[in-house]
Amino acid sequence: MVQFLQQLINGLSIGSVYALMAVGYSLVYSIMNFSNFAHGGVIMLGAYFGFFGLTLLKLPFALAFLLASIGTFFVAILVERIAYKPLRERRAPFLYFIISAMGASILLENLVIATIGPTFRTYPEVFSKAPIELGPLAIGRLDLIIFVISAVSLTLLILFIDKTKLGKAIQAASYNVKACALMGVNTDRVILTVFGLGGFLAGIAGVFFGMKYTVYPQIGNITTKSFIAAVFGGLGSLPGAVLGSIILGIIETFVAGYLSSQFRDLIAFVILIAVLVVRPTGIMGKVTEDKA
Amino acid sequence: MDWTYIQGILMLAGINMIAVLGLSLLTGFTGLFSFGHAGFMAIGAYVGAWISASPTSTPAGLGLPFVLAIVGGGVAAGAVSYFIGRISLNLKGDYFCIATLGFGEAIRLIFNNVNRFGGARGWPGVPGKSTFLAILVADVVAVLFLANLVKSRHGRNMIAVREEELAAQIAGIDVFRYKMLSLIISAVYAGVAGVFFAHYMTFIQPKMFSLTKSTELTIIVIFGGLGSISGSVLGALVLTALPEILRTFEMWRLVFYGAAVILIMVSRPKGLMGGMELTPSGIRKMVAERNALREAKARLLAEAQGGEEE
Amino acid sequence: MTVATLLRVHELTKKFGGLTAVDAVSFDVPEGGIVGLIGPNGAGKTTIFNLITGVYKPTSGSIEFRGKSIVDLEPFRIADMGITRTFQNIRLFKNLSVFDNVLTACHLNANYSFAEAILRLPRFRAQEKLLMTKAENLLDIMGLLGYKDLIASNLPYGLQRRLEIVRALALNPSLLLLDEPAAGMNPDETEQLMRLIARIRNDFKLSVLVIEHHMDLIMGVCEHIVVLNFGEKIAQGSADEVSKNPQVIEAYLGTSEEAADA
Repeated sequence: MVQFLQQLINGLSIGSVYALMAVGYSLVYSIMNFSNFAHGGVIMLGAYFGFFGLTLLKLPFALAFLLASIGTFFVAILVERIAYKPLRERRAPFLYFIISAMGASILLENLVIATIGPTFRTYPEVFSKAPIELGPLAIGRLDLIIFVISAVSLTLLILFIDKTKLGKAIQAASYNVKACALMGVNTDRVILTVFGLGGFLAGIAGVFFGMKYTVYPQIGNITTKSFIAAVFGGLGSLPGAVLGSIILGIIETFVAGYLSSQFRDLIAFVILIAVLVVRPTGIMGKVTEDKA
Repeated sequence: MDWTYIQGILMLAGINMIAVLGLSLLTGFTGLFSFGHAGFMAIGAYVGAWISASPTSTPAGLGLPFVLAIVGGGVAAGAVSYFIGRISLNLKGDYFCIATLGFGEAIRLIFNNVNRFGGARGWPGVPGKSTFLAILVADVVAVLFLANLVKSRHGRNMIAVREEELAAQIAGIDVFRYKMLSLIISAVYAGVAGVFFAHYMTFIQPKMFSLTKSTELTIIVIFGGLGSISGSVLGALVLTALPEILRTFEMWRLVFYGAAVILIMVSRPKGLMGGMELTPSGIRKMVAERNALREAKARLLAEAQGGEEE
Repeated sequence: MTVATLLRVHELTKKFGGLTAVDAVSFDVPEGGIVGLIGPNGAGKTTIFNLITGVYKPTSGSIEFRGKSIVDLEPFRIADMGITRTFQNIRLFKNLSVFDNVLTACHLNANYSFAEAILRLPRFRAQEKLLMTKAENLLDIMGLLGYKDLIASNLPYGLQRRLEIVRALALNPSLLLLDEPAAGMNPDETEQLMRLIARIRNDFKLSVLVIEHHMDLIMGVCEHIVVLNFGEKIAQGSADEVSKNPQVIEAYLGTSEEAADA
């Protein structure tokens, strides 16, 4: 029982990091209907920004954290401007966006390898490794902080989407971009906001990921799993992305804990395939019927 | 640059070309995009290695001739693609892409865990049987097969599926069947490419067949031009050679590569050939289309000026 | 009735969630007849086409073609049996030439195998030659041969509609469904189209079911007219009968400005 609870908490912690990443995929998908595979590169840069903020600039944690998020905020917007905007203007098919995203992802990853180097780097210890004892449970301090900050960030995001004018414009655009443009909504600004928000959260996720594991140029490959979580929850749905991430995080930790850590990565793809077979729109995705 | 070096690059390009030609049928002619074809290459590579590797090496193989390895690798990849197709071909657009991505990665991770085949450490004892001549012959066969296919009713039905799925259905085309046929053929091509790859490298490892490899294949197809066989051939030659030539820049070559991909998408998404073929009949067709456009414009202009005709 | 019934639609119903798009509609298309399907926008006309061609599955009711039920068949099988259609928003194979559009649709006239195609065996070559002749003949009859090599999307709008009809004819259909064939045409072109439809019926010995807003076209060419409103059949009969029906007049003049213009 103790082990079960311990695993559950681990799962929640990693699941909440996935959620920070997954909402980035989902936000972009909800407006532009394509899977932004460059997002992994942005998350990776976030991990590096945070790392250098702490080590080179010797910033306090909160500032390094902010630096990472603001940095990825701008990177995400830059990627949109360079790799997607020209395609948007030409109304290119979704595949061109995906290929362009793949190009951006290759570019970002190798830019880091070429300038910073391929080595693994370990974050300095910000939070004490001593766990918080809660009866028989030992909760990692970092896990707890990750979970709390992630939960707060995601709540703020959902409040932003629900309460602000810009957030409402995003919601409207996710139903029908063309109609929104006709109604006078500035879709370009909506799209930039979506990329900015996704980028900001990617920075937070990158820092947490780096703190929990290490920092290296191929982190982006791991973020594919958060993409799977987004599909699992239903591409384009924010609550779905969060739910999918938490479930995936928990399943992964349990598989690693009770079966074998070798199957941990495989299980994510098995889930992906199972979801696509049973219900391609995921748990909370919108179901649309094609009109002939 | 000596001949062996150039030959090496050409062989690698020739191997890539087989996989690219297969993907070209699926993507360029049938309109389905896959991010999992490296998985089919992996199946071909591993099954091929198992058939031809010596029984005394570790991991042990069957020690059978190379030809059987080629057949076995292709058939195995085709068979797996059939099951994948049954599950995923009914999915719409983006979701088919995502499914292929999932299958491709799952196949790689499965090989990672199969210790019989060397697991993540890989398989070092594959005999080096991919000769320059063998690859050349395979490429010629691959091109001829594809060229004859797309010029038949079967190929035209696939193109119709790419152009307008619903209209294809209404024109009596069994869309699912032709999608499946296209997927299986493309997987067999990828499998055969995998066999040649394994017998060229003489060492294979699951991580050689990652999502990056799948993406690379799709990028080559698009770079060459969707719906063009000659484009795929040129694309495979150029994009395999380019990173090799840029090898002097080592670290920066993949940065350029990524930037080039974005640039191509943003500026000339039709690719090198853009649906045209670099063959006598292809050029004739292109000229005829241009002339027809000019004539049609002239005719409409004349009609507009001269009132009713017809 | 002395002529045989080709298509029989009986109590056909289609619901999308809570919305009933087609509500218990019944009508027949006789062998060799031209039947018009009219009604204001949203009356369920195109939905009926989608149901007949198997794009949608009906919620209830039956569709029989030559006495056999076709409701559970896939669209391509229905096309095989001899029912084909055009689309309201033209769906050509846009990037292919006019000739290739028709050639592709001729495929049912050949039966060479996959292997024969790859090896270019004699049967493949002989049948391909036949297909090409057939495609060329069709284009010639329909006056599109001069545009043979033009990429379909470069055709003028009216000719795109005509090409869609040619492509449908390539399947040797016995029932042709035309979805607003005169949309976007001027009176002259509509007049031409009217004559074309009548000619097709006679030359190709087929039946036609046509959706249209242009009343001239419907009244001029259809022998029998079915009027729909909000998914229900409100009238049917000859052009004269229908145009005098008070319910029809109300449905048209009362709600749709578009039809009043026509």
